[in-house]
Formats: sequence, C-alpha cells, structure tokens
Amino acid sequence: MNLTEFAVPIEYYIGLSSVLFFLGAIGVVLRRNPLIMLMSIEIMFNAANLALVTFAKAWANNTGHIFAFLVITVAAAEAAIGLAIVVVVFRKRQNVDVDEVAALKG
Amino acid sequence: MIVHHILGVDGQFPLLYLIWLLPLFGAILLWAFGPQLKSLAGPIGSALIGTAFVASLVEWGLATQAVGTNGAMLYGAHMSVLTWTKGFDFGLLWDRLSLTWTLIITGVGFLIHVYSIGYMNGERAFARFFAYLNFFVFAMLTLVLSDNFVGLLVGWGLVGLASYFLIGFYFDRPSAVAASRKAFVINVVGDVGILYAVFLIVSKIGSIAYGDAFAAAQSGFTPGELTTICIALFIGCAAKSAQVPLHTWLPDAMEGPTPVSALIHAATMVTAGVYLIARCWPFWVNSPDARALVGAIGAITALTGAVLGIAQWDIKRILAYSTMSQIGYMIMGVGVGAFDAGVLHFLTHAFFKAQLFLGAGIIIHNLSNEQDIRKMGGLRKQMPFAFAAILVGVLAICGIPPFSGFFSKDAVLYETLVHGHPWLYAIGALTAGLTAYYMFRLLFVTFFGTYRGDVDPSSLGIRHPELAGVHAPHDENAHTEHAHAPAWLMSVPVAILMVPATLIGFLYLGGRESVWVKFFAPVFNTGSESAATPILSELASTLLVLAVVLVGIAVAYIRYARAGFFANPIERLRLESIRMPAPLTNALYFDLAIDYLVVKPTQLFGKVCARIIDPIVIDGAVREVSLSASWLGHLFRSFQTGLVRAYAFVIVFGVACFAAYYAIAGGVH
Repeated sequence: MNLTEFAVPIEYYIGLSSVLFFLGAIGVVLRRNPLIMLMSIEIMFNAANLALVTFAKAWANNTGHIFAFLVITVAAAEAAIGLAIVVVVFRKRQNVDVDEVAALKG
Repeated sequence: MIVHHILGVDGQFPLLYLIWLLPLFGAILLWAFGPQLKSLAGPIGSALIGTAFVASLVEWGLATQAVGTNGAMLYGAHMSVLTWTKGFDFGLLWDRLSLTWTLIITGVGFLIHVYSIGYMNGERAFARFFAYLNFFVFAMLTLVLSDNFVGLLVGWGLVGLASYFLIGFYFDRPSAVAASRKAFVINVVGDVGILYAVFLIVSKIGSIAYGDAFAAAQSGFTPGELTTICIALFIGCAAKSAQVPLHTWLPDAMEGPTPVSALIHAATMVTAGVYLIARCWPFWVNSPDARALVGAIGAITALTGAVLGIAQWDIKRILAYSTMSQIGYMIMGVGVGAFDAGVLHFLTHAFFKAQLFLGAGIIIHNLSNEQDIRKMGGLRKQMPFAFAAILVGVLAICGIPPFSGFFSKDAVLYETLVHGHPWLYAIGALTAGLTAYYMFRLLFVTFFGTYRGDVDPSSLGIRHPELAGVHAPHDENAHTEHAHAPAWLMSVPVAILMVPATLIGFLYLGGRESVWVKFFAPVFNTGSESAATPILSELASTLLVLAVVLVGIAVAYIRYARAGFFANPIERLRLESIRMPAPLTNALYFDLAIDYLVVKPTQLFGKVCARIIDPIVIDGAVREVSLSASWLGHLFRSFQTGLVRAYAFVIVFGVACFAAYYAIAGGVH
C-alpha cells in the first residue's frame, strides 16, 4: 500500500485522535452534568472524525471523508435530542444530575 | 410398485352402496328427525333394513359368480370405494362369506326391527332406539363388507359403540349404564388386539388389503409372526365374541332391551369373531399353533357357558350364557379349521337364538318385565305361541334332529374330530349334554307346573327381589298406559324365524357332499388335507352326541317335570336357589379375578399417578422451570442499575477489553 506523504507524520494525527477519544470517554464516565457529558460525546465524535479523515487521506479513499460528514450530521441530531431530553428532565425535576435520573433501575 | 391381489371381480356395483349405506341413512334420519317422525320411526327403520335385505338377495348372483382371469378364478365381486392414502384403499368385498353374513344381518335384523315396533311401543325414546339399531346394522355391514383390515377394524369399533348405546339404552338405570361401560371397555381390549395384528401385517407386507395379506399367508410370514398375528386377531375375536376370559360383559349386556339381545348379543355382533376367523382362514390354515389355541379356547368357552347356564334364574341370562356356549362351538369349529361347519353353526344359531330371545321377549313383555323363571311357571297354557317358539328354539339349540342345530352342532363336533382334536370333541359333547339340561330346565320351569308370579319372592329363594330381573323404573307407564301395539308385530317375526330355525340345517344334509359345503368350497379353498381317520365314524359321533343330549334332557325331566317337582315347586326352587354352589352363583369368579388382576391394579396405578407422579414429578417439573426462570430474572435485573454512567463505563471497559485483546494477540491480520 502506497501511503500519501504527510507534512506531519500520520502517527501524530492518530495519537491526537486517541487522546481526544480517551478524554471524551473519561468525561462521559466521570462527569455527572449531562451538558458536560454531551460535550464529551461530541469530543469522541470528533476524535472518530479525525481518525476517519486521516485514514481517508492516507489511503486516498474518499469514503472516509464522506463518512465524516455523516458522523457530523448524526452528532448534530444527537446533540439536539440529547439537549431536548436534558431540558425536559430539568423542567420535571429542577435537577440534572444523571445519577439522580435512575428511574430504569431494575 | 405393489401388485395388489384382489378377491373378487373388480367393478362398480351401485346396489352394494345401497345395501351398505341405507342403514346409515336410516340412522341419521331417525336420529335427526326422531321427534317429528314419532311412531313412524319404527316402520321407516324396518323398511330400510328390509330394502337392504332384498337388495342383498338381488345381488346373490354377484357374490357367487366365478370369473376366470389370467389363469386364476375370482369369486364374487370387489368394489373400490375410496383411497385413504396411496396404496391404502377402502373397498367392499362381496363374496359368499360376506353374502352369508349380510343376509343374516339384514334379514334377521329386519325381523327384529319389526318385532321391536311392537316390543318398544310407547317407550320414551322410540325413534332413538331405531336410530341405534340402524346404526348397528350399518356398522356390522361395514365390518363384514370391508375388503381390508382397517375397514374391518372401523366396523369392529363401530359395532362396539352401537352395542354400548343399546345396552345402556335405559340410561336412567345404573346397572344398565355399568353394563354398557363394561361391554365397551372389554370390546376396546379386543380392538387393540386387532390393531396390533394390523400393525404387524402392514409392517411386514405394506398393505392392509385382505387379498395381499392372504396371498402372503403361506410364505410371506415366518410361522412365529403368523401365529402372533392370529393370536392378536383372536384377542379381538375373544372380546367381541365373548370367549373366556373376556366373556364377562355378555351376561351383563342383557340389561339392554330384549330385541337388542336378540340382534346384537346373539345373532350378529357376537359372531363377528367367527366371521373374522373364517375370513382370515388362510392365516389359520398355515398356523397349527393358533388352530390348537383357538380351538381349545372355543371348547373351554362352550363348556364354561354351559356350566354357568345351569345356575341362572334370569331367562335372558340363561340365553346369554347359552349364546356364549354356542359361540364357543363356532369358534372351536373355525378355530380347528372346520370353517364351513363353524359358519353353518353361526347361521343356524342366528335363527334359533334370535327366536329364543324374541320368544323370551314375548313372555317378558306380557309379564310386565318379569325375567326370573322362578316367578313364571305354567305359562304353556297362558302363552301357547311363546311356548311353541321357545320349544322350537330349545329343540334346535339342543341338537334334536331334524332341527337346524342338530346338523350344525353335529358338523362342528365331527369336524373337530376329523381335524384331530378328540379332547375338544369330548368337551363339546359334554357341553351338548349340559346345554340340553339347562335349556330343558328353562323350558320346564317356565312353561310347566303352575304360575308362581304371585308368590312371595323370598319364599322362592329370591334374595334381592329388586335386583332379580324386576326392572320397574322405565316401564311403569310404558306398557300399561299406552295402547298395546298389534300382537302380530311381535308374533309374525317369531313365526317366520321358526321356519329356518327348524329347516335350515338341511343345507348340510349329506355332510361333505352337501349343498352348504359345495357353496363354500370356493371360499375355504383349504385343499385336500391329509385326513387322519377319526376315532369315531360320523354316524357313531352323531349317535354319541345324541345319547349325551338325551341324558341331559332326561336329567332335566327328572328334576323339573315330574311329580316330585310339581308336588311342591316353590320349596324345590327355594332350596335349589339357596343350595346353588357359590362358584356357580358367582360366575366361576371370573369377574372377581378380572377385578383383582386388572381393575384393582389399574386403579392402584391411577392412584399412584394421581397422588405421586402427577403432583410431584410432572407438576414439580413445571414448577421448577417457572422458578428457575424467575431466579434468572432476579439475577439479570441486578445488572440494571439505572445509572447512565455505569452503563457508559461498562461500554468503555468492554471496548478496552477488545482493544487489549487485539493488542496482545497481535492484531487482526
């Protein structure tokens, strides 16, 4: 496989993507504020997007670029729904701590 | 491709459909529209059976025709009706054997239908009775006309059902209900035997048709298989034809109306076993073990029935035991291989026993359902016609020449000897003497001396008057308030039956050269056997049996028809009732034995099932399954914490695990 030359080596892109993904995951797991959690999820999306475009560029295959757009669209929709849920929960309970929202406990 | 062997010339014969289905039509018609038809139900039911009888006579030539095809002779006719499944067809077989049975079923059946119009007049369920009778005739015709074992089994089961309906006709009488249930259960035991035989035949030759089975009889089965098939078939015969030890339902079946006893439990249904063995003669010819066994059981049954007949006081039970005894003769005859003699005894017995039952029915009818002969006596002058009818019947059943029973019983006994069974012959001859004794006892006690109907039952030794044949509940308003039907309805059928009961035996005049044997020669094509010289000549055998019979009559005469008896008949009957040996009054303990050997263990098994297996094993298993589902549910719901971050952590942890795995295992490639 013939990789396109990069000005910055490809490992840096992938490393950045991994760090971002990890930070996002940490944010989702550790933070209790749903707004912060949604932001963390956005960070994870963007980490995935970065990986996608990096590999698309590397292998000269445009599928990755197209897929990144798709992910952006999904992320936008997810943010809209997620924020709507947060608003509804806040209106009901005057509180948005996710640990308090445990009505599905078995 | 199976080449099907057929018995009879193939074709379509509309009259056979008519013979077969008219009774079914009658049953449905009377069942559905009985309340509307009212008293017309009897004449309609009788007319349909009469038409079937005429149609059978018209088709006589078809049954006896002989047509040569491909070097083989085919006798009679065969008609395909329907195909159950590929290779398994149902058809009607119309040959000399089914002709004989069809003529008896429809002919005697017609007379008994006519008689029933008079006997059942004013009964609550008049139309239902005729619907049942017609249904029985249809079932019996299915049995004898079928060209295969499964059709036979269907008819076999249906006649059992019809018998169940008719024994339990007075369903408000607990004893009748119990009797009908007993008859049905014992008959089903026989059905299972035949079913097993059918399984064996199908698994071996892949066909249920008689033609195929009989073609294979000689070499298609091993001797062991053939004997097993014969014994399985005979279990069916024993249950249906009241052979020891499955006979106990027959005396109880007398709970049904008397015409039913005459038609079903004397003339036709109980001889189905004789038909089956005669039809399956190729099996019996090729299985000496089955011949010995069936002949012996027939002889034992004949003797048992006669011994028990001695101890009875109920006129219908005496006749029931004599029926059992006579069927024992028939089974002995067909069992040892004397098929035409056995079938001849069926023919004569159908006439004289139907006549005896119908004659007894006239007495019972006129005495307001009294059945105990101790309460009769002196009826000769009161009912001369019934006396004549019973007298002819008694002479016939005892085998007094020239009455029909003489020829047939003589034929069966002598042929038993010819086929090499001197012991069975001895039992048969002894039975003939006992038969003469208890039938003349019936005749003397019932018709001679003085009338004892107004005597206190206990002074006659009747212990439980309410159980001793006084069946009051159903008839209080039946025969008194309603106008009596014309008497000729009951007497004419009996008078007609007297003719064949007297004369039909002459068909056998000439022994092996007689019309009867020649008629059946194409059916029972047993070939020329190596005839061992019997120890007695035919004349000697006849004279010996006659001598035994005369001794029996003489003993009965001395005990019941001389001054010693007439001096104080009431005291004599009381003493005889009281001193009757216990084994005889308890019917040789057969019921008791069956109760302890079969019924009680089965009930015990039922209790074990109900109290241990069902609640603990079966319910327990179900309970454990449901409990384990619940337990698993408890386990899995503990994972559902409701904490979103915990779910997220599990997901991340899972992904991390995958990543770690690939990192350690060296990647996907």
